[in-house]
Amino acid sequence: MRLETETPQQHAPRSGLILLQALVLGLFCLFTLRLWYLQVHKGGTFSDMARDNQLRQVLIGSARGRILDRSGTPLAVSEPSFALGLVREDCEDIDGTLTKVSEWTGVDKHVLSETVKRGKKRVKPFEPLILITDLPYEALARIEANAMLYPGLEIVVRQKRYYPTGALMSHVLGYVAEANEDELEKNPQLSLGDSVGKQGLELTHEDELRGSKGRKQVEVDAFGRQHNEFILEPPRAGADLKLSIDIGLQKECSRLLEGQAGALLVMEPDTGKILAMVSQPSFDNNMFVLGVPADKWRELRDNPRHPIQNRVTQGVYPPGSVFKLLMAAAGLSEGFVRPGDVVACPGVYKVGNRDFHDWKKGGHGALDLRGALVHSCDIYFYKLGDRMGIDRLHDYAVASGFGTRTGIDLPHEKAGLIPSKEWKKKRFGAAWSKGETVIASIGQGYVLTSPLQIGRYLSALVNGGRLMKPELVETEAPQVDATLPLKDGDRQVILDAMVATVESGTAKSLLRSDAVMAGKTGTAQVVKLINADIRRKTHEMPYEQRDHAWLASWGRKDGKTYVVVCLVEHGGHGGEVSGPLVRKVYEYLFGPAPGKPPRAAGAAPAAAPGEPAVDPGDVGD
Amino acid sequence: MPFDRRFILSVNWSLVALTAMLFGVGVLNLYSASGFRMGDELSMQPFYNRQLIWGLAGLGCMLAMVVFDYKYLAAIAWPLVISTSVLLVLVLVMGKTVGGAKRWLPIGGFAFQPSEVAKIALLLLAAKILSKRSERLGWLDLAGILAVSLPVALLIIVEPDLGTGLNVLLLVAGLILYRGLTGPVFKTLAIAGPILIPCGWFFLKPYQKGRILTLFDPQRDPLGAGYHIIQSQIAIGSGQMWGKGFLEGTQSQLRYLPEKHTDFAVAVFAEEWGFMGGIALLTLFCLFLLQFYVTAKNAKDRFGSYLAAGVFFYFFWQILINMGMVLGIMPVVGIPLPFISYGGSATIVNFTLVGIVVNVSMRRYLFKKG
Repeated sequence: MRLETETPQQHAPRSGLILLQALVLGLFCLFTLRLWYLQVHKGGTFSDMARDNQLRQVLIGSARGRILDRSGTPLAVSEPSFALGLVREDCEDIDGTLTKVSEWTGVDKHVLSETVKRGKKRVKPFEPLILITDLPYEALARIEANAMLYPGLEIVVRQKRYYPTGALMSHVLGYVAEANEDELEKNPQLSLGDSVGKQGLELTHEDELRGSKGRKQVEVDAFGRQHNEFILEPPRAGADLKLSIDIGLQKECSRLLEGQAGALLVMEPDTGKILAMVSQPSFDNNMFVLGVPADKWRELRDNPRHPIQNRVTQGVYPPGSVFKLLMAAAGLSEGFVRPGDVVACPGVYKVGNRDFHDWKKGGHGALDLRGALVHSCDIYFYKLGDRMGIDRLHDYAVASGFGTRTGIDLPHEKAGLIPSKEWKKKRFGAAWSKGETVIASIGQGYVLTSPLQIGRYLSALVNGGRLMKPELVETEAPQVDATLPLKDGDRQVILDAMVATVESGTAKSLLRSDAVMAGKTGTAQVVKLINADIRRKTHEMPYEQRDHAWLASWGRKDGKTYVVVCLVEHGGHGGEVSGPLVRKVYEYLFGPAPGKPPRAAGAAPAAAPGEPAVDPGDVGD
Repeated sequence: MPFDRRFILSVNWSLVALTAMLFGVGVLNLYSASGFRMGDELSMQPFYNRQLIWGLAGLGCMLAMVVFDYKYLAAIAWPLVISTSVLLVLVLVMGKTVGGAKRWLPIGGFAFQPSEVAKIALLLLAAKILSKRSERLGWLDLAGILAVSLPVALLIIVEPDLGTGLNVLLLVAGLILYRGLTGPVFKTLAIAGPILIPCGWFFLKPYQKGRILTLFDPQRDPLGAGYHIIQSQIAIGSGQMWGKGFLEGTQSQLRYLPEKHTDFAVAVFAEEWGFMGGIALLTLFCLFLLQFYVTAKNAKDRFGSYLAAGVFFYFFWQILINMGMVLGIMPVVGIPLPFISYGGSATIVNFTLVGIVVNVSMRRYLFKKG
């Protein structure tokens, strides 16, 4: 035996051995460099990415604030709503479970299957897919009792806005609904499925009502499942909003306008606070909260009486004779007329070769300013307007708060319109004609005002000339936007004339012995009558051609003063239609009038004793 | 054959120790990769303990590989290749389909993977054939070795198991390079290779092309093949210098990391042990590979040297491809990392191959009879 002497290297090819060494060295260098690059050079970046992978900030919802009336009656509340969700991953027998759910809730099983089919793409298998939103209580109880037997079913509690007063407050409150793409984009505080204010105070006071969401940090795995969490910032509940609205008064006003299309506004002249704001017809804002069905929405949108529009702030109408209050103020203040100046009213006024008639055939004879207001003489104001010119009139009206928004915190307020030469040029490319000034002088033609503007102007007349910002929120401090360009003495003349209008003029239906009552009626033409002589009785005219009936009033009793403005669309005569209605409003505010009411209910106001015989077919008041 | 005490002294104990260390690191890492967090709870999947059992079985195979003289392996090379080829055909005909691939033959209660045995068989055969050549290889030699190994590799690739098939082909290619080619052959291949390899592109399946394209631009398919690459790089990179600590890897514990106990196991390791740990593991692997080099260099005969070199290439390619894939410099191909990735048959094969090399190392001073 001999030890093998052959050197082992002879068996291993030299080049092969070098190759092996080179490969090991190469392997080591390659991966060392790569590890260095990933872990040291780029380590910070990847570290951030890993953290982003697993830690997510999740928003915690906050309870939306309530909206209350002035006495604390809830007008908008958030209450829990129960939805039925299905966690597919936990559900062994989806088909069988759906059959049961259908049995418990009466929802067609086919509909449930469709919901699951549609939701599959958007909802992760371990997240609840909502089968039924807003479960009725009986169904909830039935499901709660049986859910143990059907794993995967989950009751999902959500907050739902509820408006206990429904249609009564819809125009003021607006409503909330699910935030759309745009709103989500704009507000990082919102997450998918959140409700936001879409209209009314819910929209304008969105930020206070919503409060602020809290934030929590959640550890999430690759499947999106949440593991640990801790609160970074607790949520802050939304603040309650206390309104100046008196829900009792609101209800009464709403009842009075029922069946009509119109607006009713009650204000405190000293503060600008609004006690009632009614627009009829109305709609139930609750139906928007969980998504309004397409057919219901179409029905609302296409309704010729526009139930969605808030007529107090968004309805702009020719003010008719109510505008004479402003004309009187302008005349006095700009020095075109003095209270005692007597103007003759022959029943017709000529501008160029055109005749402008008074509503009273044959005219009123000689009238001073007070008489012109009490009897609502058209000729007096034709003449006044003609002397003043449209631009002077425009400037004065704008300074008194017309043709501009009042700034009330409701969305989509309309500014109305006070025409001027410049405006007409721009709008129609045509020159202003003198006849148009004459028509504008009695609140017709191009002049458009909202009931809210009338209410604000009247408040200013009553409160000493302060043009207040109309305010729906009780806690908001009164805000003076401007002062009327009107001397106190002149203001008093107009206020006295309004009182006289109730005592002996067109607003007689407001009269009561225990309070100072004042008013001005207006009957605004809707259709330009081709010939002023062609006059028909209101009830003979088609609805949409009938005049708008205005009544702007104020009343004072026991040191409390209120302004009430009423407009009934196509109602006919202001005094006739709006008068008795506004009287009822004051009865709510001041208590029943002592003694016998001036007339029996249902009787025509024109037939009231002592009132000048007015042809109800006439346009003027 | 009487047992010689000098066998024990000649055993490459470094190789045994390194193998044990790698396997130990692998099991520890699998322990971490088995866990996933649900809230505060750390749940365990039974990967690491099953791996331990596989390791014990592997140890048995390793011991079995040292009791006989490795020259008998040359004798059984041909029968082994032929019989495993038959089994590979059987797999394609009646194999168990798991995840769209037919790789398993059901035997009793077990699923047997013939491709694993085929790797060993082909390794033995290639070592045997090449060790008979004392000169560098010419065209004929090349044709001969490819005629044997290509069909076997193709049978594996069509299963489809591109990773293993590729591993086998590369192993044979490695051995060919180890032996060395004659000048003209080497020059021709050196020129033709870069031209022919791009042609291979047209034989790839669309998803395989996708994986290669994704390598260059992971954002191309961020939820598919790119997801693996991105998440794996986030895991490794976020480990930074010192790592997040054992069982603290958020990428893996929160299951962002796909296949974290198999192909991407090393990413778990790099996340938890950082750059320092990664270098340590890499060093272990390099030292491990060097043991095959030492054994190949000192083997008493050519067959032994080629066996050790073959095992070198077997492990080398796996380490290169797996780590390259996990580190985002190679396409995603399902090749496990030896001793670190979970896998029963792979573990047993790994131990068996180490056993064969230990066998070669312990018999390097064996007396020749007569």
